[in-house]
Amino acid sequence: MTYAAEISRANPSCFVFLVDQSASMTDPIGGGRQRKADVVADAINRLLAELSVKCAKEEGVRDYFHVAVIGYGHAVGSAFTGPLAGRDLVPLSQVADRPARVEKRTKKVPDGAGGLVETTTRFPVWVDPVAHGPTPMCRALESAEALVTDWVARHPDSFPPIVLNLTDGDSTDGDPAGAAWAVQTHVTADGAALLFNLHVSATNAVPVTFPDTDVALPDAYARTLFGMSSLLPPHMRFYALQQGVPAGDLARGFVYNADITSLVQFLDIGTRATDLR
Amino acid sequence: MVTFSLRVPKQGNTVRECEDASRVLTDGPVCVAVADGASESLLAGEWADLLARTLTEAARDDDCVLRDVDSFASALVRAGEAWSGWLADYVATREADGRPIAWYEQPKLDRGPHAAVVAARFDTDPSGVTQWDVAALGDSCLFHTRGGRLLHAFPIESAEAFHNSPGLVNAFDRDHALLARHVRTLSGTAEPGDRFFLGTDALAAWFLRAADRGDRPWDVLADFTRSSDGFTEWVARARAEGLMRNDDVTVVLVDLG
Repeated sequence: MTYAAEISRANPSCFVFLVDQSASMTDPIGGGRQRKADVVADAINRLLAELSVKCAKEEGVRDYFHVAVIGYGHAVGSAFTGPLAGRDLVPLSQVADRPARVEKRTKKVPDGAGGLVETTTRFPVWVDPVAHGPTPMCRALESAEALVTDWVARHPDSFPPIVLNLTDGDSTDGDPAGAAWAVQTHVTADGAALLFNLHVSATNAVPVTFPDTDVALPDAYARTLFGMSSLLPPHMRFYALQQGVPAGDLARGFVYNADITSLVQFLDIGTRATDLR
Repeated sequence: MVTFSLRVPKQGNTVRECEDASRVLTDGPVCVAVADGASESLLAGEWADLLARTLTEAARDDDCVLRDVDSFASALVRAGEAWSGWLADYVATREADGRPIAWYEQPKLDRGPHAAVVAARFDTDPSGVTQWDVAALGDSCLFHTRGGRLLHAFPIESAEAFHNSPGLVNAFDRDHALLARHVRTLSGTAEPGDRFFLGTDALAAWFLRAADRGDRPWDVLADFTRSSDGFTEWVARARAEGLMRNDDVTVVLVDLG
């Protein structure tokens, strides 16, 4: 059985986020006004926050994961700002304790009487929007591969590393398919490293989540990223279905202009805190 | 009637990090509760302990609590109300200690902790017959054995039925009808010599698998009541051999003697 290894402090797993910071990220996302760079920075910050909350216990955040955020654009390297600037893989407890800043944001939540009420939440920020330079996606994937190679050598029994690439898809240093495949050739006793992709596009096409075919995808970039993406392991498909997201047997870890933070809920760190229905 | 409790944390965790709880009351009918806090929750062990305490006291004070799903649901709601007070004190203490609630704790505190729970009451009359009642929400279990036989497995009867999203009591859930819909109850009579085991899910799944194989897991556990020495090592071996999932383990034995 694969992708079933216990994720614990003694046997942690790792996440490598790749963030496209190229000049084209200044364009707005399809059907909206937000810049792609803002969408991607928000997605990364929400993923890091969700992961921290998931692993939080009363004594602090447990190091069930080590996390790297690699930006690629003008340069390829750590995209952390603030106290973690320049770091690659960081234990999750340090990520949680050292954001660059914690902003206050307002959001609307149900008021219990059928309406909505505005409330303030704390929003930690580790990564700022950047849009500058070309899109060296191959080099970024090679950086991820280096981290993954080192990780599986040091943690041969761990839940396999997950690499999540957030991009508008237009690689400027060659076809990324080979570098993407190379990432997924590194294995632990529990399975091969997983590569997932979030495609943020200026094209105003229907959002797609975990498709099992590229037929409905709107352009060549999307199809390339779909082809680079790993199959979702069975337990992740199960949790996707539980959340009402259709995910067939051949569903891939690919999302087009849609939310990917649900990915964090696909990770097992013990008994789930599920409400009765 | 003799009771005995055993508890081992998940491998890699300290005893302090164990999120199982058990309570045994012997001032009157013997009342036992075992609760299992969900690992994804914050303060799950504290909630499990409060649930176990509230339910044993409720069962002692009212013999209907474990027979009637509505009464049990009311006791769960009372435990939740007690949690709100406990949490306010906890937050104030953290503030006073200069360790206010961190941004990553707040969402889980707002959501409240979750736990599975099983509670039982044993009332022996002068003729030696014991009336027993049990109620549960979730996958913590009771087993009733007599000699070499497993008479009852409750509320889960098969090892395959365990999974990592069991029914759980949330501390902020005040939906009485919803809770009652998920509560299971069972009652019966027992004879001198019968034994009852109340345990959390990892041990319960091991117990049922062993019983299915024709083994006598009740004898294995009962041996540790003579001396709990070696229980931690035995659990570690069972985990290493793949016979038991790595999780907190709690079991309470009630031996009618």
